[in-house]
Amino acid sequence: MAEGTVKLTIDGNEVEVPRGTNVVEAAKKAGVEIPHYCYHPKLPIAGNCRMCLVSLGMPRMTPERKPEIGPDGKPVIGFMPAPQIACNTMAAEGMVVQTSTPAIVKARQGVMEFLLINHPLDCPICDQAGECRLQEFAVDYGKGESRFVEHKVHKPKQVELNAKITLDNERCILCSRCERFMRHVAGQDCLGFVQRGSHTELTCYPGQEPRTNYDLNIVDICPVGALTSTDFRFRQRAWFLKETKSVCPNCATGCNTVVWTREGEVLRQTPRDNEAVNQCWMCDYGRLNYKFVNDPRRLQQPLVGGRPADWQAALSKAVQVLQGAQGALAAVGSARAATEELFLFGKLARLLGADLIDCVPRQGEADHLLLNADRNPNSRGAELTGVAADPLGSRLSAIAQGVREGRIKGLLVLGEDLGKCGIGPELLAKLEALVVIDLLPNGTTEKAGVVLPGASFAEKRGSFVNAKGRIQRFNPAIPPVGEARPEWQILAALLRSLDPAQDYSTLEGVFAGMAQEIPALAGLSLGRIGDQGVELTTAAAAAG
Amino acid sequence: MALDVPAALSRQIDEIITHYPPEQKPAPALWLLHLLQEQYGSLGQEQVEWTAARLGIPAIDVWGLVSFYPMFTEKPRGKYHLKVCRTLSCEMGGCQGVLQAIQKHLGIGPEQTTPDGKFTLSTFECLADCGNGPVMMVNDEHFANLTPEKTTALLDHIAQSGLEEQPLPPVQPAHPAEKRLVMAKLSQPGYDGSLASYQAAGGYQALRKAVGMPPEAIVQEVIDSKLRGRGGAGFPTGTKWKFIDKKSGKPIYLVCNCDESEPGTFKDRVLIHRDPHLLLEGIAITCFALGAKVGYIYIRGEFPKAVAIVQKAIDEARAANLLGKNILGVEGFDCEIYLHRGAGAYICGEETGLIESLEGKRAYPRIKPPFPAISGLFNCPTVVNNVETLCNIPQIITNGGAWFAGMGVPGSSGTRLVCVSGAVVKPGYFEFEMGKLTLRQLIFDICGGLREGRTLKGVIPGGSSMPILTPEQLDVTLDFDAIQKAGSMAGSGGIIVLDDTTQIIDAALNIAKFYAHESCGQCTPCREGTLWMEKMLHRIKDGQGRPEDVDLLWDVADNIEAKTICALGTAAAWPVKAFTTKYKAELAQVIASGEGKH
Repeated sequence: MAEGTVKLTIDGNEVEVPRGTNVVEAAKKAGVEIPHYCYHPKLPIAGNCRMCLVSLGMPRMTPERKPEIGPDGKPVIGFMPAPQIACNTMAAEGMVVQTSTPAIVKARQGVMEFLLINHPLDCPICDQAGECRLQEFAVDYGKGESRFVEHKVHKPKQVELNAKITLDNERCILCSRCERFMRHVAGQDCLGFVQRGSHTELTCYPGQEPRTNYDLNIVDICPVGALTSTDFRFRQRAWFLKETKSVCPNCATGCNTVVWTREGEVLRQTPRDNEAVNQCWMCDYGRLNYKFVNDPRRLQQPLVGGRPADWQAALSKAVQVLQGAQGALAAVGSARAATEELFLFGKLARLLGADLIDCVPRQGEADHLLLNADRNPNSRGAELTGVAADPLGSRLSAIAQGVREGRIKGLLVLGEDLGKCGIGPELLAKLEALVVIDLLPNGTTEKAGVVLPGASFAEKRGSFVNAKGRIQRFNPAIPPVGEARPEWQILAALLRSLDPAQDYSTLEGVFAGMAQEIPALAGLSLGRIGDQGVELTTAAAAAG
Repeated sequence: MALDVPAALSRQIDEIITHYPPEQKPAPALWLLHLLQEQYGSLGQEQVEWTAARLGIPAIDVWGLVSFYPMFTEKPRGKYHLKVCRTLSCEMGGCQGVLQAIQKHLGIGPEQTTPDGKFTLSTFECLADCGNGPVMMVNDEHFANLTPEKTTALLDHIAQSGLEEQPLPPVQPAHPAEKRLVMAKLSQPGYDGSLASYQAAGGYQALRKAVGMPPEAIVQEVIDSKLRGRGGAGFPTGTKWKFIDKKSGKPIYLVCNCDESEPGTFKDRVLIHRDPHLLLEGIAITCFALGAKVGYIYIRGEFPKAVAIVQKAIDEARAANLLGKNILGVEGFDCEIYLHRGAGAYICGEETGLIESLEGKRAYPRIKPPFPAISGLFNCPTVVNNVETLCNIPQIITNGGAWFAGMGVPGSSGTRLVCVSGAVVKPGYFEFEMGKLTLRQLIFDICGGLREGRTLKGVIPGGSSMPILTPEQLDVTLDFDAIQKAGSMAGSGGIIVLDDTTQIIDAALNIAKFYAHESCGQCTPCREGTLWMEKMLHRIKDGQGRPEDVDLLWDVADNIEAKTICALGTAAAWPVKAFTTKYKAELAQVIASGEGKH
């Protein structure tokens, strides 16, 4: 037994776990599922669902506090007469856990039956169907038939808990996960129980609904369809959705996410576990900010002189126009762009002789949990690839000044509306060359000679480096809309036209180039970043 | 705070808040709600929000309290709130007749108010006076031995002349077979429960002796006495005291459980109303032994007079240096006793449910571990003891643990109070030496047997939670081990006798309704299962039972038993299991005869 660990046996499997591990987690390690509803690894223990009942035994001790040895030479195990909940039981040395004795099987069937007797037959209209623990555990651990022939208890349905969340009290199994989350994580004591016994209801006080930036996490943790996202209500069946691992692009925290899509449309986002970044939560602001991806106003075709053009023509025109302004060019990039894109952007800008390169800052108020004051997901990536001033954005006024004084005749813009940094339409009108890569039309695209439609975070691969120096990758959930292309491809094409020696034909190739030139990224690749990301200082130290 | 609370009430509230540690913000909530409801008649949004603001707790938590405890109401009630007990002994005594008389006389049903605003009718669960049923409370006044005629006459009288303060009923005279030790003083003629009376009868000598003993020696005496808890579980008291964590550095608390709510039980009522100083002395000695500086007495909300009686006793004791600071001149021996009112929840009799209620929350029992001796009230080491248990402590100190252990039988020392209600001619409360009497002797020799022409159907030996014993099992002695061997438990000492006028289906349904109503709702098996059992029994009673229902009832009970957070689940399961096993034929008969009805 190593320091600070205990060895126990679960369904015949011996497993060693750190001291303080509960039996549900220990069982997971042993490859055994102990079903549960109210237990959540990040919340205080409630122990009310009774689904995780197991048979617990400890070695019997002699009066001298030594384990009693039986005729087979093994410690005699004394089992507790009643089943115990696994979530509130700490693994102990020599403990024996049985999760499927006939008594436990019956106990679990009993709990399942109790949960279902007053549960409404809402599956056909309930959003939770397909990702519902009541459904899953009923199949895995239930009896398969109901013996209840009485009238069910009726409670309020379709309650607007707040604008984001719909509550159905009949479906609620009173596990209290939502209540514990709001009190202990989100920090607003607004949810609680009223009435008593079988008539108990979850609710909030009138006028004191949840209003934190984390409310929607209770939809994630609700094991049933009692709390559902109003935004997602009735939009799609869970089993039709494609899941793509991604990273939230709405601030520098970089919460790990899953983007759920069907037929080219993003339908919702949920958090993905990453202990080092966001545990298992994400904020509502980031979660709900995906609608721009499928916004009908998305730029779907290249534009030359304001008119649709094909890619070949548009790229040629862009090269021509940029070469024309060579030496008198500045570049404004975006800290919302991927690191790979910013790497190519910097190369392109410097090739064109731009010595004023910067990105646009985006600051807000940080909250007590995840939301970072820096609303750009990749400020660190911009710094690493040398396309940001120090501090980021401090060169923008010089660029504006240059345009105003006519010293800067051309701008290469990646994903930003320059009206936000003091370069409005009147200044843009002075430029001879304005090439813009962006997603949605704005004041800058309107003035651009060439507009090249780019792809959102949900339509391409790439990486962000978060505020803590962690590089994380995201994946395409849908193909780029219309004829839009991932920015790295657009920038690689422009670069290739201007300098055939700089030929990046794959994203891996771009990353490899980055890893060679930027010490912090040495030895890394998109493959090595994996699904949980890599802390850059560690990686650099390991590689160097 | 939109509410304009009168200055005197506000001062009273301020004072009560000092009874709890300041960081325990919700703790005074039940007191505030009682007082506000007395002032304003109901607890609507204004009162809820005022309470939330005054205590600094969320309004949802206050609403949670108002809706959890049946004594509280969100909507206004009539001037006179009629609370008629509907639990087993009162039902067998005829409470349905009383209810129907009220409904006919006033023209209102349960939870309705007369148009003139005078009367609101409610049914309540066991009011702890089962030997004198049917019983009804009107506001804070208690009326017993009701008949339909007496009830309507009472209503007319109240409507005309108002509600008069009722005297406490006289103390039941001792039966020769009794051995009144705990009840010794209160049985003396002229005894009035005052400090003077108590001291004249030798009271507080035990406390004087105790403060001269090392605390561990006091604990040892109680261990030697082999005293077992008198609340229901029968856990060895000295052992419970020994578990207390004295090394944590946190304050230690003693809590007295006066939430007597187990149907069939009405003994703590007598002790607390009639001999408060005996309880206070027991608490003071216990606090000294445990190192507790604060004791709380949790009094069920339906004992409003006990609050005034015990508070008066506390004030007397403090004035006489028997409570408060440096008690009896012993430097550093401080003990304050505070009263805390419940508001109508049987689950507050469960020790951790009680603790949650004392902390000002919904009475949701806690998962264990941790146990109260390590982390209880306010997460501090706590001992919870029953009223009668604590009332035994002074005599154990005075006469020694060995003396106490020398009475009774092995496994059940000393004397205990038992209550008999139901089908006997002479119900009442008695104090017997443990193990010296059988159930048969108790029922037929002490309590006058059954009424003319009636036959015995069964006896519940320890409160409605305990499995019923059949007439063949009557020769069991009144002690913990004997009754356990017979397949039941001595429990709270509430003995309920059923005769052939009671159908088992009615008894089972009455008890099932009780548990469904009292379930706190926290955990799945009890929350869903108790109401399911009630509905099944109701359906059988209504003539729509099916042959498989008897086994189904047993199985549902089995799925609840021992699977829940607290013992209420098991308490709901045991009666159903006992009825469906021992009276299977009778239930099958009811089902069969009902089959033609649908």
